[in-house]
Amino acid sequence: MKQPGRLSLNTWLVPLGWLGLLLVLAATMPYLESLFRVIEPDMREVIYRRAGFFTLLAQHVMVVAIASLLAVTLGVGAAIAVTRPAGRDFLPLVSQLASIGQTFPPVAVLALAVPALGFGTLPIIVALLLYGLLPIVRNTLAAIDDIDPGLRESALGMGMTAGQVLRQVELPLAAPVILAGIRTSVTINIATAALGATIGASNLGDPIIAGIVNSNTAYIVQGALLIGLLALTVDSAFERLASAPST
Amino acid sequence: MIELFGVSKHFANETAVDGISLQIKRGELCVLVGTSGCGKSTTLRMINRLIEHDAGEIHLDGQPVRSFNEVALRRRIGYVIQSTGLFPHWTVARNIGLVPRLLKWPKAQISERVEALMQLLGLPLAEFADKYPHQLSGGQAQRVGVARALAADPDILLMDEPFAALDPLTRQGLQREMIELHARLNKTIVFVTHDMDEALTLADRLVVMDQGRIVQQGTPVELLREPATPFVESLLGGLDRGLKEAALIQVKERMLPFGPRLLASERIAETAPLSQALSVMLWHQVERLTVVDAEDIPVGELSLRRLLGVTAA
Repeated sequence: MKQPGRLSLNTWLVPLGWLGLLLVLAATMPYLESLFRVIEPDMREVIYRRAGFFTLLAQHVMVVAIASLLAVTLGVGAAIAVTRPAGRDFLPLVSQLASIGQTFPPVAVLALAVPALGFGTLPIIVALLLYGLLPIVRNTLAAIDDIDPGLRESALGMGMTAGQVLRQVELPLAAPVILAGIRTSVTINIATAALGATIGASNLGDPIIAGIVNSNTAYIVQGALLIGLLALTVDSAFERLASAPST
Repeated sequence: MIELFGVSKHFANETAVDGISLQIKRGELCVLVGTSGCGKSTTLRMINRLIEHDAGEIHLDGQPVRSFNEVALRRRIGYVIQSTGLFPHWTVARNIGLVPRLLKWPKAQISERVEALMQLLGLPLAEFADKYPHQLSGGQAQRVGVARALAADPDILLMDEPFAALDPLTRQGLQREMIELHARLNKTIVFVTHDMDEALTLADRLVVMDQGRIVQQGTPVELLREPATPFVESLLGGLDRGLKEAALIQVKERMLPFGPRLLASERIAETAPLSQALSVMLWHQVERLTVVDAEDIPVGELSLRRLLGVTAA
């Protein structure tokens, strides 16, 4: 199932396009003062200048990346562990824990995490990790559960080891659904990460919080625009990944 | 040779297999037959240790199966299941080459072997090698399943209701191929089915199971002639047993080689089963058939009396 090179390049153009727009906007934001003046004609300052947009963007990406990487490792790992014969007993526990993680509002996690972990980046990473686990765990469990038991039986019957069955049969077949879970998780976390600004983890949420505090809509729009573009970039990249032929 | 000595298996409170002893000789096609839940599949899976037996011993060529590493053991035993178990994300060629790849054969040898097997099972390489399982018909998929099981040239083939999900025509075709394949490759085959006609067609030896025990074993004709219990008798078709037996005997065994002067109008192939000859007689309301060979040349005659096996002339 090979796709012609032209076609695959075409679809990568979408995430690259969003990325380009994101970077251009982050670079030119300070020069768009006249534009934002339209939104807030009476404010003394209409461009957020407490930190560079690139710095904020980089920190935002870093927080989401770390939290997502942890969530993927933990989530996929736990889901795999509880679908092995030895870990079956823990399946209900893990799937419930993951559900609880998501019903817990991230703001509440932050409020609870700050006394324990202090202000800054760490509590927001913890909150995002907990919040992002559910889609990953749920999808991985569903995907592995959905595999025809006959495949597992014949794989074992042919003389594959448990590890070979996992790597060569279960994971490749479950990959699209797992990837969809990761995509949901990361996209939600890009938006949720903005909350980190309330507890001193500076990122693209900063202009938004500052805008709310000072009733400065221009700030809010600047933060929201960049977060939205970042989410679109990542989401379309995942879409491209999902349509790529798995080998 | 596969030997079972007093083998039992319990699941929770249920006894799936209850102290069965069985000997399957090298090169034999042994069919385990019985209603669902009689323990036939469990018995099969205990041979390649997908299920571990609780009591008794299972020997392979004189050595207990427990003395082998289970993965190594399974790579030596072909395994075919009803749902084929073909990996949907692999091509036909890759599926067939699975066990040789697990055994780390050199690449060239694997592709050579895959090619040979596809030929053996009537799957043209150019057409099928790069197809995916979902692009195959049920019969083709099961052919690939058989090819995959034969890939590393195992001495033993375990088949768990491999043709049960296929339509009757495809099933009969594959049964015929199975008989040819068995004659050619001389593998020891343990075949599980609930379809008595399939069992009678394929078996060198039939093992009838009920509630985890072996009720009777023997050649198809032995069982038809002398069913040990009413259960076996009803499984064999009760009053239809005569027809079932007739299906196992070829016309040429009963025909009179050089028939009388006059050729009968209706013809029957010498390799056709007696049941078919009887059916032709019933259909055309005649008592004599001309027996022809593969080239449609008359070689003898079959009368109703001879068909019935009435020996006194």
